[in-house]
Amino acid sequence: MSLLDFSQKALLAALLIYSASFIFFMIAVGGKKWSNREPAAHSRRWGWTGFGFAAAGWAAHVTFFVTRWVAGGHIPTSNMYEFMTMLAMAIMLAFIVIYLIYKNALLGAFTLPLTVIIIAYASVFPSEIQPLIPSLNSNWLRVHVTTAALGEAFFAVGFAAALVQLLRVIDYKRTDKAGKRARRWMEVFLLVILMVIGFLLSVFSFRAAGYQAEFHQVITKEDDLGQQQTTERQVVYGLPPIVKPYSSDTVEIDSFLGMKKPLFAAPPWLKGVNAERKLNTILWSIISGLILYGLLRLIARKQLGAVIHPHLSDIDPDDLDEISYRSIAIGYPIFTLGGLIFAMIWAQIAWSRFWGWDPKEVWALITWLFYTAYLHLRLSRGWHGAKSAWLAVIGFLVVLFTLIGVNLVIAGLHSYAGVS
Amino acid sequence: MFSNTKCECGHQNHAGTVLCESCGKPLTEEWAGNPETPLEMRYDGVARRSQKANPDLLDRVWNFFSSVKVAVWLIVLTLIGASLGTIYPQENTFLNLQTYQEFHDYYKEHYGTAGVVYHALGLSRVYSSWWFIGLLVMIGTSLVICSLDRVLPLYRALSKQQIRKHMQFISRQQVTYSGPEPVNKEAWLDSFGKELKRKRYKVWRDGDALMAEKNRFSRWGPYINHIGLIIFLLAVLGRNVPAWNMDQYVSLDEGETEQIPGTNYFVKNEKFTVEYYTDAELPPTLKGTERPKLFETKATLYVCTESCDDPSKDPVLSPVKTHDIRVNHPLSYKGLKLYQYDYTPKPKLVSVSPMLVDKKTGEQYGPFTLSMRNPALTYRAGPYTLTLKDKFMDFGLDDQGRPMTKSREPNAPAFVFIIQGPDLPETGETYIYFPQQIDKVKFRQDVLNKAIADKLDIRVPSMSGVVLSENTSTLNVRVDRAMPFIWTGAAIFMIGVAMGLYWHHRRIWLRFDDGVLSLGAHTNKNNYGLRMEVAAAMTKAGLPVSDKSLDNRRKSP
Repeated sequence: MSLLDFSQKALLAALLIYSASFIFFMIAVGGKKWSNREPAAHSRRWGWTGFGFAAAGWAAHVTFFVTRWVAGGHIPTSNMYEFMTMLAMAIMLAFIVIYLIYKNALLGAFTLPLTVIIIAYASVFPSEIQPLIPSLNSNWLRVHVTTAALGEAFFAVGFAAALVQLLRVIDYKRTDKAGKRARRWMEVFLLVILMVIGFLLSVFSFRAAGYQAEFHQVITKEDDLGQQQTTERQVVYGLPPIVKPYSSDTVEIDSFLGMKKPLFAAPPWLKGVNAERKLNTILWSIISGLILYGLLRLIARKQLGAVIHPHLSDIDPDDLDEISYRSIAIGYPIFTLGGLIFAMIWAQIAWSRFWGWDPKEVWALITWLFYTAYLHLRLSRGWHGAKSAWLAVIGFLVVLFTLIGVNLVIAGLHSYAGVS
Repeated sequence: MFSNTKCECGHQNHAGTVLCESCGKPLTEEWAGNPETPLEMRYDGVARRSQKANPDLLDRVWNFFSSVKVAVWLIVLTLIGASLGTIYPQENTFLNLQTYQEFHDYYKEHYGTAGVVYHALGLSRVYSSWWFIGLLVMIGTSLVICSLDRVLPLYRALSKQQIRKHMQFISRQQVTYSGPEPVNKEAWLDSFGKELKRKRYKVWRDGDALMAEKNRFSRWGPYINHIGLIIFLLAVLGRNVPAWNMDQYVSLDEGETEQIPGTNYFVKNEKFTVEYYTDAELPPTLKGTERPKLFETKATLYVCTESCDDPSKDPVLSPVKTHDIRVNHPLSYKGLKLYQYDYTPKPKLVSVSPMLVDKKTGEQYGPFTLSMRNPALTYRAGPYTLTLKDKFMDFGLDDQGRPMTKSREPNAPAFVFIIQGPDLPETGETYIYFPQQIDKVKFRQDVLNKAIADKLDIRVPSMSGVVLSENTSTLNVRVDRAMPFIWTGAAIFMIGVAMGLYWHHRRIWLRFDDGVLSLGAHTNKNNYGLRMEVAAAMTKAGLPVSDKSLDNRRKSP
């Protein structure tokens, strides 16, 4: 077994141990009212079990990281797969720190699934080790990427706590407009999470089934001199084509539920690298997310938030408010240092200017401005409770867009991270 | 309007004070009226500078910028403006486009109607727009005014705190305790004070009242980080000073030396290397692709010491620094930085070492080395002497058929020699020489040289006599004198932000009234930690309490 194989196995082990840890944290939170036990002792015992597993999983995760570093000869943070697995590792570190301060089992019940989803998301991308291109060959790669990720990891933990806080404080008995609106937004948010899960489920199940559809695309364009320029390429899908590339013919297509040809073609104005395939994937995520949501609603026969809400009734929302705020307050200086200052130092060395309004730079600044606004609203304008929790939730969406969205949607200097 | 701002303890407060600066009694209707709710402790309830009775115009401007609400709006507007600029690429990413019309056409062609609107609204150059820069300037103003407005009153309040606080002030903190006084009051106070000192509190006593405080410095964190940001923003503005900033590009073939425009420096490209990963180093999916491994210009930086501006003489250069310039490894010399920016794979002649051949006897003389860019004026080859009369780096003919050079790049070099020697006239014969075979044929060297072409030939015997530059390396030359200030500002910001967020200002007040112990404690962050600390100290001093029972928010229904 090569070192790289061992490394991959360590990550798989980490994933399994994290899942176990998640279940223990769920028992710690959900099993408090089971018969013949004292709630506080139950929560403590299962909480520590969950934490022990989380720490063990993290050890396996670090093993993955270190062995991959040795096998590849450079720090594994240079493409999307490596970055996302490292981000998950950073989130677990932030979780361990915050858990040791507040010892709140609920935090585990919400942070661990987030970690598992991120690792699963990382596995969508190619996991091979790619040799470094010259612009990434710098000590600042290590410093900038790891510090920024650690800051963002604390934002993630703050997000998890804020989400629980919202589920706890949203009043499912209120019938006025504001109450309905809060509940509806929570459902929208849960639906988005289900879409992410739906995306992962569809990618992995079709990958396991070896599904493939292939298209031959011919695009004819008139160039500046008025001559017809023809470009041809092969496009391969891993998911059944709801939408096929613009101006393309089917080469081969595996049948799925009797579906033998694409439903419609992508519009010609769709630009960008593999834009049609991305559109197809997004459609799949939306549809599978909606199906999942519909199924769960059918089983529960009420809003999903209302299903989770009663399990949180004995939790103090002020504690969650404080955990969320504290986590963000710890993350903010780290993010500033790693995401902006180290980034500027490296940009000055590599690109001869510390700031160039590259989309990734701008979005790092936007993330920073957003959390700056959060801190000011909280410290000087007294935004506590639900208002500040909504901000913490939105803030993490901004973080995710900066990390993933920018690379998928907007091209720029940071677009080399392997995202096919 | 006159409002009485004198507290019952006798202290005269500024207008707008929420909590008496001396004893802490709530003064405003809003806070005094409702004795249940915990107090708002922002800035310790002191009046901000902007809270004046009769504001004039300057006061109104000051008041506008001193509002955190305005500051947050400025931040949010900057955030939205910045995000709009990432929808499509900004204009400055296209180095080859210049005019408004060119950009208009580009956005129209690539992004359709949306692109036209984007360009017309100026969103394609957001970051240099007047309104975006205006927002940044306003944020800078807000930083200065918000800080001054708060830091001075806060400093005044914290530097002269009264130990015995008003009962309401104590009982309406976030962390409170009230209970019967311990049996031995004095001994208990001593040991409670000792416990707090062990936790690095400063402890003051005034009779049976006690005040303890730690980490006051963390309150200055926000103001220090704002100073850092102001320095940073000023440094960013300073980059617009022309003398502080230089941004030039120099393209060099191997062996070429060029002056860095606007300076006394010259830079020479000794050798440029580009390396790609071999297939063995690449993972399966990347095999067969050209993945760059290294770009490197071995460069020497020279400073001109003599005849620098005299076009008739060659400048005298003395080397000051040699460095292998790679991406991430710029050459740095006295604030001047040279970065590897780009390279063009375009073979060019650097020098040739030809022989002079007597066509009749087949005898060869030489070789002599002829440099394309800096050729010597005379050469000796056996009995012959060659004098360089003229050179054309990029040979061509003008519309009247006269020889001319199309550029300074050695794309089609041609050299005109006067050859003197045996069987040649005293004054010599003119001979035009094209080092590249392709030019020799294209411009018909033998026809141009007429009779002498039958006698003599200049010929490179083998490829070893040819030195080629494979690539042209482009270096980016930068001077940015504002950078030290940028880094200073960033460092001060980090210090301030860490002070403010990683340390917490904690204060505890305690008093006894008619056998009742009342304790109130305040922190600007992390109430949980403060409760743990107070509960531990009280328990150790012999009055066991749980940390949860101290939480004032939980007590209120």
